[in-house]
Amino acid sequence: MTEAPIGSSRDVPALPKKRRRFSGRRLLRALLDLKLWVPALAAAGIAVAAAFVFLLVGLAGFYGAAWLRNYEAFLVTAVIGLAAGLVVGWTRRYHPRAAARIFTWKAWGSVIVGSLATYWGIVFLIGLGRLHVYRLAFAESQVAPILSGFYTSLEVVAVIIPLGFGLGFLVGWARTTKSLILRGLAAYYVDFFRSMPPIALIFFASLIGALSLKGSGIDQFTVYHITLWLGVVALGFHTAAYQAEIIRAGILSVPAGQTEAADAVGISKIRSMFVVVLPQAFRISLPPLGNEFSSVIKDTSLLSVIGWFELSGVGFTLVSESYSVYLWGSVVIWIEVAMLYFVLTYLVTRTVRVIEDLFKVPGLEVARL
Amino acid sequence: MSHLSARGLRKSFGTLEVLRGVDIDIELGEALCIIGPSGSGKSTLLRCLNLLIRPDAGEIYLDSVKLTNPKIRPEWVRQQIGMVFQSFNLFTHLNTTKNVMLGLRHAKKVSRSKAREKAIFELNRVGLGDKLDAFPAQLSGGQQQRVAIARALAMDPKVILFDEPTSALDPESIHEVLAVMAQLAHEKMTMAVVTHEMGFAREVSDQVVFFDAGKILESGTPSDIFDHPKSERTRAFMDKILR
Repeated sequence: MTEAPIGSSRDVPALPKKRRRFSGRRLLRALLDLKLWVPALAAAGIAVAAAFVFLLVGLAGFYGAAWLRNYEAFLVTAVIGLAAGLVVGWTRRYHPRAAARIFTWKAWGSVIVGSLATYWGIVFLIGLGRLHVYRLAFAESQVAPILSGFYTSLEVVAVIIPLGFGLGFLVGWARTTKSLILRGLAAYYVDFFRSMPPIALIFFASLIGALSLKGSGIDQFTVYHITLWLGVVALGFHTAAYQAEIIRAGILSVPAGQTEAADAVGISKIRSMFVVVLPQAFRISLPPLGNEFSSVIKDTSLLSVIGWFELSGVGFTLVSESYSVYLWGSVVIWIEVAMLYFVLTYLVTRTVRVIEDLFKVPGLEVARL
Repeated sequence: MSHLSARGLRKSFGTLEVLRGVDIDIELGEALCIIGPSGSGKSTLLRCLNLLIRPDAGEIYLDSVKLTNPKIRPEWVRQQIGMVFQSFNLFTHLNTTKNVMLGLRHAKKVSRSKAREKAIFELNRVGLGDKLDAFPAQLSGGQQQRVAIARALAMDPKVILFDEPTSALDPESIHEVLAVMAQLAHEKMTMAVVTHEMGFAREVSDQVVFFDAGKILESGTPSDIFDHPKSERTRAFMDKILR
């Protein structure tokens, strides 16, 4: 390795460092650079080798792992490995300190172990199926509709989290301003939306939408979709109230000396909010925000009551159809639904953890026991 | 007219009258020390001078510009008059270089590379050229206070106000911070220092002001104040602390 070991930049008398920015020319140069290809090819090689091992295992043990025998599986694994390797290599080369923080075994070990465990879980279930303990055929037949529910959930979550965070951020900020009107409105907002049961909010929003659009000339199909999304917005407003309190706590946790120091060098109030207060407030707010995100993901299940076919909605429908086919069907379906909720939540909380790592301040964190 | 001067400054917090008509003059290149008992309003006076607190009455002039004129932006005033706090108040989420750069970037709107250059220069000036990437939480109190001084210096202020810069430090750190301040005084930086370090006030300052109960009781050269105090109150104060 030619670059200096991680962390040594603190010990060397530093020269003015230029901040590296992304540019096409540098990307091209980096792509032609052998040092980038080595980790990329290594990653791809490992991925292909792993796929090959899985294939052997699948062939030897269980006929069910048919997808491993597809050429596409090899191809996809290799391409993903290559891309991952390039990303890791690029970051390690040009942002070594960020890479040292992000690409740690501690952070990604759980992801690797998790995917391996999932793979072996599937293999195990297939084995149970062959022994007629677990009806693989039934479980498999439920996967496609449940997956469609998963995508719908993903879509809803992708709207609710930015909406809730954006709104919560504004309301939380408003609660800390000097303006009595803003503070009053924000406090009223939080009091109202925190006290309402989310299911009532969802019903209210979609029913009010449906009733007020009645006779407006908009076709039924569009009205139906509008009412569905009104429910999503209602849930977003609900979580925004919680997130507003989290943001407010973060802002209040920044000592007054910080803004005073920003004032003393002549930074305007609004700028000092953005460059001094919010970065520090955000660092404090991130863990509880992750909490709230994971909580609202599960709350999206309430949307099934107004006709969303997301994970839970699909689950209810499938269960009601399953009794005549297989007595344990509902158990199988809810296990699959629960697993996908886990995947969804884990994706989001893991991302929040990575962001948390980026906001870490050396020397400020409590010493680990 | 003096470099920085205040006439008839008054400030009350509720019913508590903290400043009761203060006149103060700081000449160009002068180091002024303000001494006096706790709670006498010294810090409030400093904060009034750079408009961190707006005085109830009175005028402040910097090179015959009237700072208390409501048309003058306080942000502009604070770019002209630097301040160093008792508790450092470094931005905890930024490393030392970025702490110093922040004012340049966001108040003076200097380009990033220029600001970085200036920050490195100022950090070297206070003897922290080897701590450019360190975060405040990784530094000792004395080092943090030197970063705070560099942060004030980076704005090229016409005056720097020090609000008890060594009160939160251990004896060794006090020494390193005072050395930097003495160096600045030697370089003819105009500064006003609220301090309880009588040794520093005696040796480095050009003018000493004794402040009590919101008023200036006595002012003069260090030897005037320390060796031949005129008022009874000053003499009592000196007797207590110089024993």
